Amino acid sequence: MNVFEIFSQYGDALACGLMESLRLALIVWTAGLSIGTLFGALGARFPRLFGMPLAVCAFILSGVPVIVFLFWLHYPVQSMMNVVIDPFITASVTLAIINVFAVSEIVRRVLRDFPEQYMIAAKVCGLGRLQTFTQIQFPLIFRQILPGLLMTQVGMLQATLFASLISVDEIFRTAQRINATVYRPVEIYTSLGILFLIVCLPLNGVAIWLRNKYTRDLSEK
Amino acid sequence: MASQQIHARSVGEITDQDRVGSPEYVAGGARRDELSAINISKTSGNKQLLKNVSLSIRPGEITALIGPSGAGKTTLLKALSLLEIPDSGNLLIDDLTYSFPFRKNQKVAPPWPKLTVVFQQLFLWPHLTLRKNITLPLGNHLDEPTSARLEQLIDRFKMREFIDRHPNETSIGQRQRAALVRALVLNPKYILLDEITSSLDVEQVAYILSELRVMQEQGIGILLVTHLLHFAREAADSIVFMEHGKVIESGGKEVLAQPRQERIKSFVAMAEFAS
Repeated sequence: MNVFEIFSQYGDALACGLMESLRLALIVWTAGLSIGTLFGALGARFPRLFGMPLAVCAFILSGVPVIVFLFWLHYPVQSMMNVVIDPFITASVTLAIINVFAVSEIVRRVLRDFPEQYMIAAKVCGLGRLQTFTQIQFPLIFRQILPGLLMTQVGMLQATLFASLISVDEIFRTAQRINATVYRPVEIYTSLGILFLIVCLPLNGVAIWLRNKYTRDLSEK
Repeated sequence: MASQQIHARSVGEITDQDRVGSPEYVAGGARRDELSAINISKTSGNKQLLKNVSLSIRPGEITALIGPSGAGKTTLLKALSLLEIPDSGNLLIDDLTYSFPFRKNQKVAPPWPKLTVVFQQLFLWPHLTLRKNITLPLGNHLDEPTSARLEQLIDRFKMREFIDRHPNETSIGQRQRAALVRALVLNPKYILLDEITSSLDVEQVAYILSELRVMQEQGIGILLVTHLLHFAREAADSIVFMEHGKVIESGGKEVLAQPRQERIKSFVAMAEFAS
């Protein structure tokens, strides 16, 4: 049984697993980007009230492996609270929390470090608040944030694989199941690699394209 | 020009007696058609950055503001442009009057772009081409006279070749010109220039000097912060020497040519030795 035969015989199962992975990633991306951006903006606006706690949480979370955090929320926490939560929800929440803090740190730092002089230049040129925001602040911040955000989101997609360890039927678990039936690890995990390449390469391509388009070297020589 | 030379001076030197009832003047002896700072003070923490600074700038005049590092030159420039609000004093820009401190939530009409500033670091927006940097403050639809003025400025400052490049693709001299054009195209009446000759070579300084002359002839009042004494001597109608946040001496070119105070004498001697 070669890779092509794996695809033809187990294509449907792999597609289902992939869809589950993408569904999980979509939830994680949406939560991370929306809530993370909001938190980041609040952190920059209120450095003591929000900024510091956010930075501390992000710092702590960055030191905890994803799998440990996932297991911790899935087993001990649920046991302590005497609840059983669907693994898909647990995985979504765990990865979303990680993504929220990662995104909020990226946004907070870029907003905090935004060079004030560009705003001053806008002021003395007589630009209004809205025009300053839309033409100066937002485009510059967007360009600064973009590379970090894209890398984080691709990383989050890859982190969805850990969800298999708490029995979420995503692509990796599907591959493990197929392997348990036919025991062709080389072909099955190669198929998995190919599937991830098909999904991640375009994403990486878009990331590189956006990065080149919007984040060219702005420093003055 | 010589007959018109009016030196930067302490506003207190103008006697109110001569001006009472004159529509040209307002309280404090300042003229309505000039930029006057009257007893401007500014403190940051425990440090007093500006102490009762008074000076005036008239349209068509170049005033050079000189002094050692940390004298408060840039702070004064920011105070005059309301980028940093002074703690006390008055600022009159033609018919606009600002009395400090402002009341809480007081709404004030901004002096920009009638008064504009070109900073030492230029502050060109890095994501926009030089052309866009210049035209952005003018809005989306340029009327014909503005368009014509812009084209004229682009030619005058010899920017045609690099106008569509981004700031990081141009030399410091080219960026310097772009920053000046960005300010000039707004048709300001007063322009404050903070060390715009720093990091320029001799030829570029000479070029800027000739452009300052053109701006002066167009009736723009210029306040020039510079550490180049020969440039100040060449360019300015009046000189203001500052140290420790205070105006030590102000007047015509004699402030530098025949300094009266020992401090200025030693500063001039050192600056000349260094150059």
